[in-house]
Amino acid sequence: MAQTKGNTQPEGAPHQPFVFKVVLLGSSSVGKSSLVIRLIKNDFKEILPTMGCAFFTQMMEIDNSALKLEIWDTAGQEKYHSVCHLYFRGANAAILVYDIANKDSFQRAQNWWKELENEFSPDEIVVILVGNKTDLEDSREVTLEEGKAFAESKKLLFMETSAKLNYQVTEAFTALARELLKREEQNGGQTQQGEPRVDLKTTRIVKNKCCLD
Amino acid sequence: MDWEKRRRDAPRRVTDKTGGTEGASHRQLVLHQSRRKMNLKSERRGIHVDQSELLCKKGCGYYGNLAWQGFCSKCWREEYHKARQRQIQEDWELAERLQREEEEAFASSQSSQGAQSLTFSKFEGKKTNEKSRKVTTVKKFFSASSRGGPKKAEIPEAKAASPSLHRQASLETDRASKEFIEFLKTFHKMGQEIYKQTKSFLEAMHHKRELSIEEQSEYAQDFYQNVAERLQTRGKVPPEKMEKAMDQIEKYVMTRLYKYVFCPETTDDEKKDLAVQKRIRALHWVTPQMLCVPVNEEIPEVSDMVVKAITDIIEMDSKRVPRDKLACITKCSKHIFNAIKITKNEPASADDFLPTLIYIVLKGNPPRLQSNIQYITRFCNPSRLMTGEDGYYFTNLCCAVAFIEKLDAQSLNLSQEDFDRYMSGQTSPKKQESERWAPNACLGVKQMYKNLDLLSQLNERQERLMSQAKKLEKDLIDWTDGIAKEVQDIVEKYPLEIKPPSQPLAAIDSENVENDKLPPPLQPQVYAG
Repeated sequence: MAQTKGNTQPEGAPHQPFVFKVVLLGSSSVGKSSLVIRLIKNDFKEILPTMGCAFFTQMMEIDNSALKLEIWDTAGQEKYHSVCHLYFRGANAAILVYDIANKDSFQRAQNWWKELENEFSPDEIVVILVGNKTDLEDSREVTLEEGKAFAESKKLLFMETSAKLNYQVTEAFTALARELLKREEQNGGQTQQGEPRVDLKTTRIVKNKCCLD
Repeated sequence: MDWEKRRRDAPRRVTDKTGGTEGASHRQLVLHQSRRKMNLKSERRGIHVDQSELLCKKGCGYYGNLAWQGFCSKCWREEYHKARQRQIQEDWELAERLQREEEEAFASSQSSQGAQSLTFSKFEGKKTNEKSRKVTTVKKFFSASSRGGPKKAEIPEAKAASPSLHRQASLETDRASKEFIEFLKTFHKMGQEIYKQTKSFLEAMHHKRELSIEEQSEYAQDFYQNVAERLQTRGKVPPEKMEKAMDQIEKYVMTRLYKYVFCPETTDDEKKDLAVQKRIRALHWVTPQMLCVPVNEEIPEVSDMVVKAITDIIEMDSKRVPRDKLACITKCSKHIFNAIKITKNEPASADDFLPTLIYIVLKGNPPRLQSNIQYITRFCNPSRLMTGEDGYYFTNLCCAVAFIEKLDAQSLNLSQEDFDRYMSGQTSPKKQESERWAPNACLGVKQMYKNLDLLSQLNERQERLMSQAKKLEKDLIDWTDGIAKEVQDIVEKYPLEIKPPSQPLAAIDSENVENDKLPPPLQPQVYAG
């Protein structure tokens, strides 16, 4: 019964991954889910065989440090815009997805940015703007420059991808993960490993207005 | 000490009780004699009762009574007293056993007795505290049942059942504590520390009952955080085990606190519950098509999933532990994903999921929805709500409720007039769809819609009839008015004037009624000659 210290617990647990919550935002049918499914499965099909989920986890390894992305898909329809802020609670990163062949979806991505801006201070959240569907180059409505300009003006990460052709999907997520890690290091162990970067005190204040406003 | 007191109390109460109906022993004798007379009388009237059956079962020579199970009053009292004592003894032993088990659990986890004897005695002190609490509740059972009067005393078996019924409510709590103790054993020395911390938290919460629910919630969250930190830093518990430990602690604590902190009177949770419930009821007419729900309920498998999802979300209310409630939401969500997958034959995304969840909530109208959400947000381990799969589905449920509260014509792609009409219950969009009922739809519902249809048709016809009748009435009035006016006009135009007769002779002639009977006037005749 006498327990010797440390024999059940690997001391320090060096490979304990960081957990980050990532919110996926974008109009319906811009390919939010496809992007993630491409990342996870790495094989894109017209009809996906899995049961399908709106909640994904993905382990990644960047520069020898493991991290776990917890990706929350959100409903993209305009009518749910008013409730989307509920998803933001405790998020570490957001992916703003638009369809390069749909000007309107780019406009909506900008609206989401405004929502995020209201909810977070710039150093609280990492945001990446993703222009998806580069395979539809012929019917492009949003130019690469437009996307880039917006991202630069708001200091967002930016990438154009194609979930269908598997173009720069992993790169986009890697860039996001790298930035998350960088911020984590800057914060210098303020948060504990294995725990999501959630401050209990501040959360409690936000939490109380759940669903009621 | 309490036990002693109760021992002394118990017989007194029994005496009180029988005393109420029976009285002291000298009165017994009188009663017996009068009863004997009555019995003799009935015997004389020819009802055959064996003499031995009438006597006290104990053979003391007195007559017995059915109400006392064949004993005489004196013997009954003795018997009853014994049975009482036995039962009290049993109850006590049970309580004792439970306590012992708890203690043993810790005795076995004690690695070194000497150094910790001090803390252990403190620990013991808390035990006795709790013991006395338990005893008082046991006492309550008895005083309550003894007030029940002699009728209950007739059936001692039934009496034994009543406290156990009472105990049912706390059965879950007992089970939770047992499980908790079992679980803590695996933590050895750390387990005892956790137990102590948990106990003192529960006690503190007991004193905080008067405070606002937000403060209580904050206190609980602090407790979770402290325990988690302690487990991590002092206990060096690995993360996988950590989660399980936190779940167990939450389960133990919340099973005990549930009835005080779920939908407390100090908040307006109940009011909100009713508001949401009313709102959902008013929205009963919303169809899957309006919400763009990608679920086809005509497929039996899908409607099966929908029913399961509704059952799960309703079941949430019956759980006590926040984590169990979350599990219900997750189960419900999985069924929704299945339903979408079967309908669309492709995996569902959040674009499909949220509308379907809204539809399920509208269809199920889960009880005390707002209270449950509030309870979970207040007393669940916060990391569970903001991350993890359970947290994701819970957030979706919050979104669904928020959406339902704000829902308007635009969000259902309806015109404002239609929306208002449906909300006021004037018409139902389902009427047009009655042709498309699934074959397995309830007959009664079908009939109801058919009847509604008929009624609305009848209503229409009646309205038509009424308007036509009104028209007819108006026509008739107009007609008589018209005629009257015409007559008036004519009368004015040709006023009636009686002129004096201008030809008196003719008048005379004309007055002669028998004029034509007269022979013709003579004609002058010319005679030749």
